[in-house]
Amino acid sequence: MSRFTKSFDTIGAVLLAIIWIAPLLFAVWAAVHSTSDAVNFRLTSPWTMSNFQAAWDGAPWGKYFLNTFLLVTVVLIGQFIVTTLAGYAFAQVQFPGKDIAFLLVLLQLFILPEVLIVENYAMVSRLGLFDSILGVGMPYMASAFGIFLMRQAFKSVPIELDEAARIEGCSRLGILLKVYVPLAKPTYLAYALVSVSTHWNNFLWPLIVTNSPETRPITVGLSIFGAPENGVDISIISAATLMSVAPLLVAFLIFQRQFVQAFLRSGIK
Amino acid sequence: MSGNAFVTMKNIGKRWNGQLGVEGITLDIEEGEFVALLGPSGCGKSTTLRLLAGLEVPDEGQIIIDGIDVTGASAAQRNLSMVFQSYALFPHLSVAENVMFGMKVRRVPKKERLAKMHNALDMTGLHGLEDRKPSALSGGQRQRVALARAIVAGRKLCLMDEPLSNLDAKLRAAVRKDIKKLQKDLGMTIVYVTHDQTEAMSMADKVVLMKDGLIEQTGTPEQLYSEPLNTFVAEFVGAPPMALIKGTALQGYADDQTIGIRAEKMRLAPEGGRMACTVTDCEFLGAETFIGLAHESANGLTIKLDGKAHMEIGSKVEITFEDKDLHVFGPTGKRMNNIT
Repeated sequence: MSRFTKSFDTIGAVLLAIIWIAPLLFAVWAAVHSTSDAVNFRLTSPWTMSNFQAAWDGAPWGKYFLNTFLLVTVVLIGQFIVTTLAGYAFAQVQFPGKDIAFLLVLLQLFILPEVLIVENYAMVSRLGLFDSILGVGMPYMASAFGIFLMRQAFKSVPIELDEAARIEGCSRLGILLKVYVPLAKPTYLAYALVSVSTHWNNFLWPLIVTNSPETRPITVGLSIFGAPENGVDISIISAATLMSVAPLLVAFLIFQRQFVQAFLRSGIK
Repeated sequence: MSGNAFVTMKNIGKRWNGQLGVEGITLDIEEGEFVALLGPSGCGKSTTLRLLAGLEVPDEGQIIIDGIDVTGASAAQRNLSMVFQSYALFPHLSVAENVMFGMKVRRVPKKERLAKMHNALDMTGLHGLEDRKPSALSGGQRQRVALARAIVAGRKLCLMDEPLSNLDAKLRAAVRKDIKKLQKDLGMTIVYVTHDQTEAMSMADKVVLMKDGLIEQTGTPEQLYSEPLNTFVAEFVGAPPMALIKGTALQGYADDQTIGIRAEKMRLAPEGGRMACTVTDCEFLGAETFIGLAHESANGLTIKLDGKAHMEIGSKVEITFEDKDLHVFGPTGKRMNNIT
């Protein structure tokens, strides 16, 4: 019986893994073959790199990559600042209305970002940040998930460390930066991973709030390949997609071990 | 109560949501003195220490350290160092960085910082462990890092919250000596919280025994041992604690009085002793043997015999003692006589 369940588990795991990786494998397959070879699955057909060439020539990739990179960096820095301060306040500072404020922050988790698109659009326009990278990143900086995560991480820091630092003459900000932040490092790493991959792949909001190739991130830039007026070329789209996710894939493969450890240590799975 | 003590606590009270924390704590500590706050758990000794440290703010009363009223001052302004029960070492910093943490915060020049750090590590015997993380140290080593961190601050007042409770018995005795020696060498004033009366009696110049948020008795270890102010002190201090006998069992004492006697003041009487008891246990400690005795109107009767002595459990013995060695406590448990 236990052998049966064990092999059942293994088969299930393998099946799940295959389903999971299938789109990526297909993208790799399509990207290195001509369109008709790709969709007809001619296994012996010749390989080609021309799709990458065509995709690369079809859009200002360097600019898009730079925009995406700037976007995730700006969002991450903003999130780190806001979630650190807010998380610390909710974890260790006593102020009136704390519980209600925290409840409101948590309520934010129940609201899909897509619901807020119109309101965010109006707000970004009012701030004069329309069609700018800061404008794309702004609505995500006060992340409820991040605040919650940091609060939990800071709450798990033993209070004696805080007190020891206080007796040594550390200021409140000093304690936050020298005691709480270093101890929450695994949480920061895990959160950074989630944040970067989310915003690297974010599409709808950047599409709406950007207008020019100067600010467009790569996901929006990529959509020109899928626009019906160009005709949908599955091979070129695959090549372009692979190129756009390549930096993330490479980074994940390199830092895989650290990421897994970070998730284990920060206790979110 | 002299007005020029190094540390003065005047009528300090602290309550949580109406529940009693500590009440009416009045205490004078001279410079260079080793004071132990002693008591069972929950008696408010740690609270008293935290009030002194500035980690809690008292509801009433006044705290003066080195001539300055620091009642409302922050922990940093009080010019003291503290050793925590859990050591409170920063797990992400090495031993050296942990010791230098405070100096870095206070922007002490790097050269001076390193010199002081090495000096402190020498004193605590931690040389060669500078680059280790706290997680790679044994309990005793961590404890000494915490001590080194307190030493290096160069503060005159050092507070210790049960610093030895996480160590095994042998190590505890060794570190006890180290702390005492450091205190003498550096001329520090130490306020030391402990629930272990042996620790308090062997280290302190002055012991403050607390119970339920109140001070029961303040005095030298000798005073607490030989002149306990009430039955609680008598039963808490000393190993074994003082035996308490109901006044009804002895002639010449009122029925509502309680009579206390130390183990070493009792003798076995071949016949015609003052009390007849049953042997309940026999504890051999090497230089002496403690014989536990039962008597229907006495509590904690123990007699100390020199060397190895064996007595059959359940056998009957008679004991005797001198009147001058007896401590008499009134109906409320308060001491009534003075032993000369």
